[in-house]
Amino acid sequence: MTEGDFHIKAPKRVSSSDVRLLVHNRGPDAHELIVLRARNSHLPLRPDGTTVDEEALERATVGILESGAPGSVRQLLLHLPPGRYVLICNMSGHFLGGMHTELVVQ
Amino acid sequence: MHRGRAFRPFTARGRGVIAAILLTFALFSAISVFVTISATGRSQHRASVVEVAARQRMLAERYVQEVLLARAGAQADPSYTASVLASSAGALLDGGTAPGVNGDDDETKLSAASGTVVRRQLKQERRLVADLTATGNALLAGRPVTTIPLTAHERVTIVDPVERLRVLAALTANVSLNAARTIAIRADANISNLITLQVALGIAGLLMSLLLAFALIAATRRQTAHFRSLVTSSTDLVLVFGSGGCRYVSQSVTRMLDRPEKDMLGDGFGRCVHPDDRVQVNAAAAHGEPHQIVFRLLDKFEEWRHLEANVTNLQHDRRVQGVVLNARDITERIELEEELTHQAFHDGLTGLANRALFRDRLDQSLARSERSRETLAVLLVDLDGFKQVNDGLGHDAGDQLLQQVAKRFADVIRPSDTLARLGGDEFALLLEGANESGALVIAQRLLECLSKPVNIADRLLALGTSIGIVLHPGGPGESEDLIRHADLAMYEAKGAGRGRYEVFHHDMAREFGELLGLEHELRQGLEQGEFSVHYQPEIDLDTQTIVGVEALVRWNSPTRGDVPPIRFIPIAESTGLIMPLGEFVLAEACRQTAEWCREGLLPDPFVTWVNLSGKQLSHGGIGELVQDALEAEGLPPSLLGLEVTETAIVVEGPAGDRARAALEDLHDRGVRIAIDDFGTGFSSLGHLRRFPVDMIKVDRSFVQGVEHDTKDAAITANLTSLAHALGLTAIAEGIETEGQLASVRELGCDLAQGYLFGRPMPAEKMTGLLADDADSPSAERQRASA
Repeated sequence: MTEGDFHIKAPKRVSSSDVRLLVHNRGPDAHELIVLRARNSHLPLRPDGTTVDEEALERATVGILESGAPGSVRQLLLHLPPGRYVLICNMSGHFLGGMHTELVVQ
Repeated sequence: MHRGRAFRPFTARGRGVIAAILLTFALFSAISVFVTISATGRSQHRASVVEVAARQRMLAERYVQEVLLARAGAQADPSYTASVLASSAGALLDGGTAPGVNGDDDETKLSAASGTVVRRQLKQERRLVADLTATGNALLAGRPVTTIPLTAHERVTIVDPVERLRVLAALTANVSLNAARTIAIRADANISNLITLQVALGIAGLLMSLLLAFALIAATRRQTAHFRSLVTSSTDLVLVFGSGGCRYVSQSVTRMLDRPEKDMLGDGFGRCVHPDDRVQVNAAAAHGEPHQIVFRLLDKFEEWRHLEANVTNLQHDRRVQGVVLNARDITERIELEEELTHQAFHDGLTGLANRALFRDRLDQSLARSERSRETLAVLLVDLDGFKQVNDGLGHDAGDQLLQQVAKRFADVIRPSDTLARLGGDEFALLLEGANESGALVIAQRLLECLSKPVNIADRLLALGTSIGIVLHPGGPGESEDLIRHADLAMYEAKGAGRGRYEVFHHDMAREFGELLGLEHELRQGLEQGEFSVHYQPEIDLDTQTIVGVEALVRWNSPTRGDVPPIRFIPIAESTGLIMPLGEFVLAEACRQTAEWCREGLLPDPFVTWVNLSGKQLSHGGIGELVQDALEAEGLPPSLLGLEVTETAIVVEGPAGDRARAALEDLHDRGVRIAIDDFGTGFSSLGHLRRFPVDMIKVDRSFVQGVEHDTKDAAITANLTSLAHALGLTAIAEGIETEGQLASVRELGCDLAQGYLFGRPMPAEKMTGLLADDADSPSAERQRASA
């Protein structure tokens, strides 16, 4: 999968519950990746109005990749039970700027 | 082509390496300082960039607040912040001036950003700033913000203008922060690189310096070994002296003296130095002066070795702290010089002083005499009869004779006198402080010491000497004059009868000048035809007829008149003029005899006798000379006779052999040979028997006494008998009286010659005599007497 300003391009469905996410940041800005178990992309925001309230979603959070520099390739191994997930970058303004996508594990 | 490595002196090589080390340090230090300065400059610039980049985040947030305040009607100017944001974003990306913010900071000059990631981030920032300020402007103008096209690929779905503005500000701030981080990270990386470079430079400089230091140490060791080897193996001798005496001697010294080193060190060295040289050697070893000395050292075999040394004072050189002697062995040179000096001033045969040394001693003696008025005497000693020994018995016998005579002379003089051999059989004696009586005593001793015969080659030879004495009364004088005067006195003694001495007086000098003048005129006379040939008849005692003539040279000088042969023949002999003179006589005699022959005046038999001197014979070529003279005139050889002395035919050596062979050849061709002055020389019967002689001439000294002296008569009789026994003709010379004629006739002589029959006469007169004799042979004697 790839990240860029300001989008996340990833498969919409996967069949295996053991998922290996190979994240290539095409930049130009640095980006992180948070995997949440959620039905859709309507997520609660912090009071600053620019980032998702990760504390409120702590139980739903199944995986985090810290910020990666432009051009970096990172890997995230997850065991995802079947269900619906949302992948976001929660750097300031990035989620609201469009960096989120949904993933269905069958 | 292979080229050998040139030897480089230690100092040059060492200095080169040290210079290389210093240059390396300087080079690496310069590189390091340059890199540091450059890096520091870049770091300061990057700090400014980071500061401006970080400031964008703050400006983006401030811009939102100012838009909201302005929208609420408060005093705010978001457009200024927007312009600062835009200008700074542009300057960060493409270079330029980032403005200050409300006077809080200064304008910042930036260069264009480098690096792909940073430039992409800054481009993104510039797009987001544009989107942010456009949204802010729309919000303040009351226009719908959702219609503003977004250029940074952000997909903002929020419709609330304020929230939309905050999100865009957050995106701007975020990318600005990340760009600042990226720039900061690159600055950190540069600092790390700088540190790495500094460490690498340090290590490289250290390694290079170590390598050069090792090279320096190796060069130093090689050079030290090189010089040690040079000093120890060199034939030059090195000695170092310090406060404790000799501190160091090179191996060449111990090798030369064949002594162990310990014998030479300390005070031991002084014991090896010649006592006469110790003062100067000690002075040189203590003070370094004189700078050059020559001294002697005693080797193991108790022989003195001569050394020549250069002295160098290195007492103030902390590496030496002593006086260094660089010496070389000059023993062979000194010995050679002494040998050459001895040879130059001594006679190799007798070991006596030679002419040069004698002159030197005489000069010194005269110099002393000039100061002290002391008298001195010079004696010149010439051996009588030495030439006959040399010619008759050979040069070896002559050399032995000279050696024995020199020894006898040396035995009878004082040690302080200088005895020299001037050359040939001539000796000289210098008597310092001698007056006339003292000189005469020594001269008498010299005469007496040869009174006993000398044994040479098993023969007892009786020799005499003629001594010339010159006395110097004291005061100034010239050595050359003294020797010349002694020479004149010596010739005076010879002329006075030999076996005696004469003291020089000034009349002799006048005579000497006379002789010189005579020689000059003799040469001129030869060139100008002042010489002529006279003829003296030889009479057959049986028939009373002329059977031959003796050709005799005469000199009629325009200044001196008739000069007797006894006066000029010795000068011609000594100057070599006898050669052209003899040639003239031979040619003229042949010419005249041929003329008589053509005129039919010659009786049969008839011989014209020509005298040959010893020098003519020994010079060589006499055979050709006689043959040419005969052929030139067409004269039958039997009409020519050659008179030679006894001495001339007994000469030893190649010259004597050549002369005898020439005479034998001429005799074979018909030329007659006679021995002149027979009975006065050294010829032996053996020579007489082997040599082709036709006639002997009994010397006038016997003939003159034949009438009254029984001894002379006996000798004449024996000589005549000897001639007859050998089948030769005997002729008596010097017949002057009838009594002599009667006696020689009675004693058996075949022919006679003398004033009684006719004096030597010119050719014309002789022609007349021959003509008369041809007409009336019996009347000849009477005419001649008349």
